[in-house]
Formats: sequence, C-alpha cells, structure tokens
Amino acid sequence: MAHCERASKPLLQCLRNTYSKGVAGIPIQTRAFQSAAGLGEAQSEPTSQPFYKAPDPSLVSSPRLERRLLRQGTSPIGSRRRRAALQGSSNIPFEQLPYQCFQEARKVLLNDRAEKLEQIEKMRQRIARVEALSLEESGGEVPRKSRLRAMQLELERLKILADVNDPLVKRKFEDGHGDMSKPIYRYLAERKWREYRRKILVQRITQMKVVPDVLPHCEPTVDTKLYFGRRQIQPGEFVQAKLSSTAPRMDVQMFERGEKLVTIAVADPDVPNVETDNFDYKMHFLAVNVPISTTATKLDLSQLSADSQVVLPWLPPVAQLGSPYHRLSVFVMEQKDSQPLDFAAVKDRETDRDSMLLRTLQARYRLKAIGAHMFRTQWDDTTLEVMNQIGFDQANIELRRKKVEPLPYKRRNPASFR
Amino acid sequence: MLQPRLLTPLRALERVIGPSVRSTTQHLYQPQQSLLQRTLSAPSALTKTTPSFSRPLFPFSQVRHASHAAQGTANKHSRDPAGKRLGAKRTGGEYVVPGCIIFRQRGSKWFPGENCAMGRDHTIYATQPGYVRYYLDPLQHPDRRYIGIVFEKDGKLPHPRNAPTRRKLNMVAVPRAERAAAQSDLVASVDENGVQVADVDAAHAEQGPQLRPGYMYREANWQIGRVAEKAGVKPKVYKVRNRWLAWRMRVARTQRVAQMKSLKSKKAGKKNK
Repeated sequence: MAHCERASKPLLQCLRNTYSKGVAGIPIQTRAFQSAAGLGEAQSEPTSQPFYKAPDPSLVSSPRLERRLLRQGTSPIGSRRRRAALQGSSNIPFEQLPYQCFQEARKVLLNDRAEKLEQIEKMRQRIARVEALSLEESGGEVPRKSRLRAMQLELERLKILADVNDPLVKRKFEDGHGDMSKPIYRYLAERKWREYRRKILVQRITQMKVVPDVLPHCEPTVDTKLYFGRRQIQPGEFVQAKLSSTAPRMDVQMFERGEKLVTIAVADPDVPNVETDNFDYKMHFLAVNVPISTTATKLDLSQLSADSQVVLPWLPPVAQLGSPYHRLSVFVMEQKDSQPLDFAAVKDRETDRDSMLLRTLQARYRLKAIGAHMFRTQWDDTTLEVMNQIGFDQANIELRRKKVEPLPYKRRNPASFR
Repeated sequence: MLQPRLLTPLRALERVIGPSVRSTTQHLYQPQQSLLQRTLSAPSALTKTTPSFSRPLFPFSQVRHASHAAQGTANKHSRDPAGKRLGAKRTGGEYVVPGCIIFRQRGSKWFPGENCAMGRDHTIYATQPGYVRYYLDPLQHPDRRYIGIVFEKDGKLPHPRNAPTRRKLNMVAVPRAERAAAQSDLVASVDENGVQVADVDAAHAEQGPQLRPGYMYREANWQIGRVAEKAGVKPKVYKVRNRWLAWRMRVARTQRVAQMKSLKSKKAGKKNK
C-alpha cells in the first residue's frame, strides 16, 4: 500500500544511504531475517520472472498480488507494513547495524540481561540453601515459610526482568506466539489484559450490579472469554436466545504458574416472580473440579464430564416478553487449596436450580471468585422457539407494567367547589 | 500614519536619553525634539522651534482618565429575575409514585440515588413508588448528596455496600398477544356518530384506497412513499466533489429565481395599471 511505503520511506532511505557507502569491516549479509527457503528462491531464480508473476510472500505488499498469492494457497508473511519495508531494505541483522548508539544500547541491554541471569542463579542457590535448613535453624515454621515465599517472588521478578527488554520476546508476544508456560509471556499478557479488558469487565459487572446482586465481591485475576458457537461475546452483550441454547465455550487464561481446580457457575438474578413482586435467582449451569492451567485454557462447558464435573447441566436462558433483561453472570471460582470437591455429595445436595444462591455455594464450599463474565438475554424472535424446545411453562405469558395508583388528589374543601 | 514598529525601540531610546538631556538643557530653551518626531517628519520638524518640556514627550499617545462611569448601574435592583421555584417538592419520608418530581435544582446539587433518576434539567424524580430519603453515601462518593426511594416506610438508606440491590418487579402477567407484523394506517369513516378516525388494519390497507383524514379516498401515506421504490426510480447520488454538477444546479436555480421575479414584477405592474 501507498501509505505503508510512505511510512517506511524515511527509514529505508536512511538505511540505503548508509549501506551504499558500505560499512567498514562488515561483510554485508542480505536478508538475514528471512527464512532460508526464501533466500534460496531469490537466488536460484534471478530475473527469470518478473515479481508480479511470482510474488514473494515475504515481500509482496500490493493487495492485488496478495490476493493472487492467497488464491494460489500461500499467505503473505507478516504485516503489509513490514513487507513493504523489507522490499527496499538490505535487511541487516541487529548485530551488524551501523548505528553506534544503537549498538551501545544493545550492549547495555545484553549486560543487564547477563546480570539478571547471574542474580537468578544466586537466588536459586539461596532458596536451595534455605530449604535445606532444618526448622530449628531457620527459626520456626512461619518465618521460614514467609522467607521462602518472599524469595520465590523475588525470583519470579528477576525472571521477568531478564527478558522484558528482549525485542524478540516482545515480537513473539505481539504475534500471539508467546509460550504461556514462561513467566515473561504471562507477565506481558496480564499487563495487556489489565490495561483494557479487565477494566471493561469490572466496569460492566459493577455498573450492571452483578457484583452486589450475585456475589458480594469479585476481584478478577484470570482472563475469561466466552464464546457461543464461533462468536466471542463481550461482557454484557445481548445474546440471542437461539445462540445461547447450547452451552458456551470458555477461554480461561491464568497468569500465575501452576494448575487450579475451579467451580464454574452461571447464575441469573433476574427471574421475575409476579406473586412476590420481586426477582428470583436461577442457576443455569454448575460444574465443579474443572482443571485450568496456564497453557490448557480452552473449556467447553458442554464437553465437561457428566459423572465427575457437571452438577447442573446447561439450561438455555430465556426471557419472557416484557420482562426486564436477564443478566447471566458467569463466575469462575477457585476451590480452596485447589482441592477437589466431593462430586457425589455436591450433586446430591445441589439439585434445585431455583433456590440456589451463589453466595450460599461460596460459603458452603469455600470458593473464591477469580474470574467473571456476563451476558444478557431479552425477548427476541427466537425466544419462543427455545422456550418450546426446553418446555418453558410460561411461554404464553407476557409481562406488562402494573398501573401505580396515583397520589390522592388533595382538595382543600371539595364541597365548596360545587 | 503611526509606525508602531518604529515606535517601540525609539520610545526605549527616548527613555534612556530623554531625562538626562532634559535635566541639562531645560533652562536653556534649546529646541529639543524627540527623536521620534525627527525621524517621522525630519525636515519640517527641525525648522520649527518649539519648547518641548511643556508638551508631552509623545503627542501621539492619548490618555483618557476615568471621569465618567461607562454605563450606569442605577437600576440594577429592578432587573432581578423572577424566582424559578426551585427546591424540594417532596420531603423525606413522603410517599411518591413513579414520575413524581422530588427536587428541582440548577446543576446537580443533589444526585439521584436508589430508585430515582435525573431529568434533563437535573430534576430528581422517582422511578418506583415508595418513600423519599435524603442521604449521604460516603462509600460511593465522599461529597455527594443523594435522594433515594425506599419501599418500606421505615427503610434506611444507604444500603450496605455489598448487599444485593432491593428491587420490585411492578409487573403483571397477562396472556401474550400476537403482534401484527404488517404496517397499519390511519383511516376515517363517516357514520351516524360522525367521523370516526381509526386504525386501518394492514389487511384492509391492501384493498385499495380508503377514506382517510382530509375526506379523501386515497392510498396510505406509506404506500405513496414507496411508489418510487416500486417503479425503480433511483435518485442521482449527490457528490460533494462534483463541482460541475453543483455549478449547473446553481445556475438553474438562479435562472429559476430570476424568472419567478420577473413574473412577479409583471403581475405587480398590471396591478398598478
């Protein structure tokens, strides 16, 4: 594209000018960043075909040629801006770039990394030493534990600091190829999540009053995404009844190391009750002992095992015509010490969807909410179909506003007006 | 005539040189002129011999001392506007119904709390039937004053921070009515009771012209609106950048206006005769 080319022009001009003069003592290597295959191709077929006939997937930048490549079955590599920039650059590796200041800065970063690695090694040895000490020597159980904990935290911090300035790590993370089992990628992912998506989530669950209505507190620490079919649902979005008639898929991303056993609950605090003139709760889904980890993040609520995890299977949410919207709140709750709950006992006890409160469950099984999500449901064209499908008994009932008796009209002396 | 760019540096020069010169030559009746005058009107000013100490240094700068007030404030107090009847319309503990105005204000002196809302002009009104409470909620906001509604006569506000919200459904269950999918239209009919204006069902609207308001048998407005669509008429897309088209339209309009004007003037001329 023209604007890509325009954007990368000054840099490229600068690069080209520098290289035309030549860098003293450095043999110019071309296309060091590219794959060997691309290099071989470029060398093996010199000028036999014009570029537009056989476009290089790592260099093509015009949409027309990109489309042609896609039709042939190869997708272009990297961003269009990057490809446009590579077209005119001699693509020299970092180590051979001629900017002295840049090289000095790289040296500083490399030294810093080496220093951090040394510190990590030292800290590991110290931890091993403390662990090797007996209880009497380390001054009791509690101080030893707290000391070890502090040292572990420091070690994690050092691990992050060692890699946080690495451009390759940054690039990998931005391309979405980060390995979540490594602390640096988890750190970057958490920072990114906290910057925007967590704020949105917290705002939605507090503004729509999910947090005092369903649970008293929730401080999300895991990133939760919700999918119905292939569509990702943003927190608080209205979901069509037909779409939500099958259980959703979830993507629960932990940012701490290790594994956890969680309970997943979907509760609706907005079931209208005309008799009591109030709203009831309903539990639409409940599963216990669901393992989540930093790498295995995908959860399909319909694929959980029925005889060891799912206490209450998915009940499609429906809203009657005229009723206020229903807030379906999804909570991921950590089980105490990641110990499994007794599934049979839970299943025996928790059978009634209507009278079940998440607050009660939280207290009863000592759960702690670590992730949250919500979506909303209201009457739409597909609701009736879903109601019939699940045998909803009040499908032919509509809710209308009750007429409020107006204030008594106050007359000072009604008799005298006549 | 004034040359402001020249003026400033010269004035500065004057300030440096002026006083010393004046103090030495004041009594000697030396024809002393400001540098400025010399530069501005060089030959003529030199010929004149005028004592300079009696006049101001710069004849160009004028000072107007405030001897009169610019505009009088004599009748200030008679311009007080009428009161706007702001303030509380319902006291704490009073029973209100939805829509009932509780407080009128300029700006948000009070904020809407539980079961209340704020109108376009910051009026606080009730959204639920209940009893009015005026309260502070330091956990929600340290400075704001709130007006809320509670359902019980002796209810307290604010509620505990993590307690579930107290709500009421305020709805009744009725059998669900099927909504007509097609669009209906207004129609008028004449019978012994006079003219009746009522909705035309969508089914009847298809049967041809009906008697409609204005005593006309005609199609519905929405049907008229779709004639062009049915006939496949497509208006030309107006492009702002197409200045050639814009020019042609403008010329056509001016010609039309001129024609109309000439017609008018002809009529007026006839009348005068």
